[in-house]
Amino acid sequence: MHCLDWEERVALHVGGDLPAAEAAPVEQHLAGCADCQVFWSGMKESLELIQGAHAEVLPQASYTAVRARVLAELDGRRAWWRGGWFYGAAAVALALLVVLAVWPGLRVKPLPRMAVAGPPAPVVVTPVAARREAATNRGRRKRTPRQPQQLEPRRPLLVRLVTNDPNVVIYWIAE
Amino acid sequence: MALADLAMAGEAEFPHGQSHLLAAAKAGDLAAFEALMRQYERLVLVTAFRLLGGLPDAQDISQEVFLKMYRNLGKLEEAASLAGWLYRVTANACHDARRRKRPNAPVEFAEGLRAGGADPQQAATEAERRRVLDLSLRMLPEKERAALVLRDLEGLSTEEVARALGSSAATVRSQVSKARVKVREFVERYFRSQ
Repeated sequence: MHCLDWEERVALHVGGDLPAAEAAPVEQHLAGCADCQVFWSGMKESLELIQGAHAEVLPQASYTAVRARVLAELDGRRAWWRGGWFYGAAAVALALLVVLAVWPGLRVKPLPRMAVAGPPAPVVVTPVAARREAATNRGRRKRTPRQPQQLEPRRPLLVRLVTNDPNVVIYWIAE
Repeated sequence: MALADLAMAGEAEFPHGQSHLLAAAKAGDLAAFEALMRQYERLVLVTAFRLLGGLPDAQDISQEVFLKMYRNLGKLEEAASLAGWLYRVTANACHDARRRKRPNAPVEFAEGLRAGGADPQQAATEAERRRVLDLSLRMLPEKERAALVLRDLEGLSTEEVARALGSSAATVRSQVSKARVKVREFVERYFRSQ
């Protein structure tokens, strides 16, 4: 049975992983400990076995297959980029349109505000005879027949156009 | 092979230099990127294979790693650091793949390796030996396995392993020593029982 205290250092010594200062005491111990010598040689053997087993090369076809897969994928990506120029140009054009529509300096100026105002109501002048008759009828409390409603004359349409300039107001009168 | 050796080997193999290849790949040269892939495909695929144990999974991881490398070409400063970056990304991708995989998924063995020798008896023995050695790696906790693979099979220094796994050199040394002890016990137990 080898010395457990020395196990880690012996394992590192087998692979040449110890600096000279640390390797020297291990070699001194190995020189005087038969069990650790067996442990050391067994470890050396297993390490060489593993290295030997993995020294064999992989078939060349396995490298070629990987290379072909990578290049095919890269080629596919490049083809996509080459074919994608049309969509790219379309996207740029669309973006330009959006910018033109949103840009403040390029907005279409609003039309002048329009207000529609009616003319003042015409003054109705009542004749003198009619006023007298009304006064006499007030005392009799007699129900008078209803007068037919007088039709108002057609009012002209007045359109006032208010512009951005407060000094300029446009009136448009239509019959 | 340490990372510095790997970078120097790459410079020797490619007369125009890895830096030129990297610059050309960054500029969109697909052939240059393919040349870089050829240079590092062994590193990525073999590491993934050793960490995961199955060739199809390792190929998927390799594909993922190289596509990530392509996406990150702009961030890669110099070719000398490419190997370290690839080890790190491969180890992370394998870690993610193991987490994604169902815990009760059947254990794959190193079916991707070539069987050595023409003699069927010898080939069978060799395959069995390889299976046991692969199993000895598989039974290790994930971090110990990654440390052992990068240190003992890939030949990185302790500091390089620490950088690839995002931990400290002291932690890596502890993980490597524990892994070596466990592998020795497993291998000894198996071959003694034969």
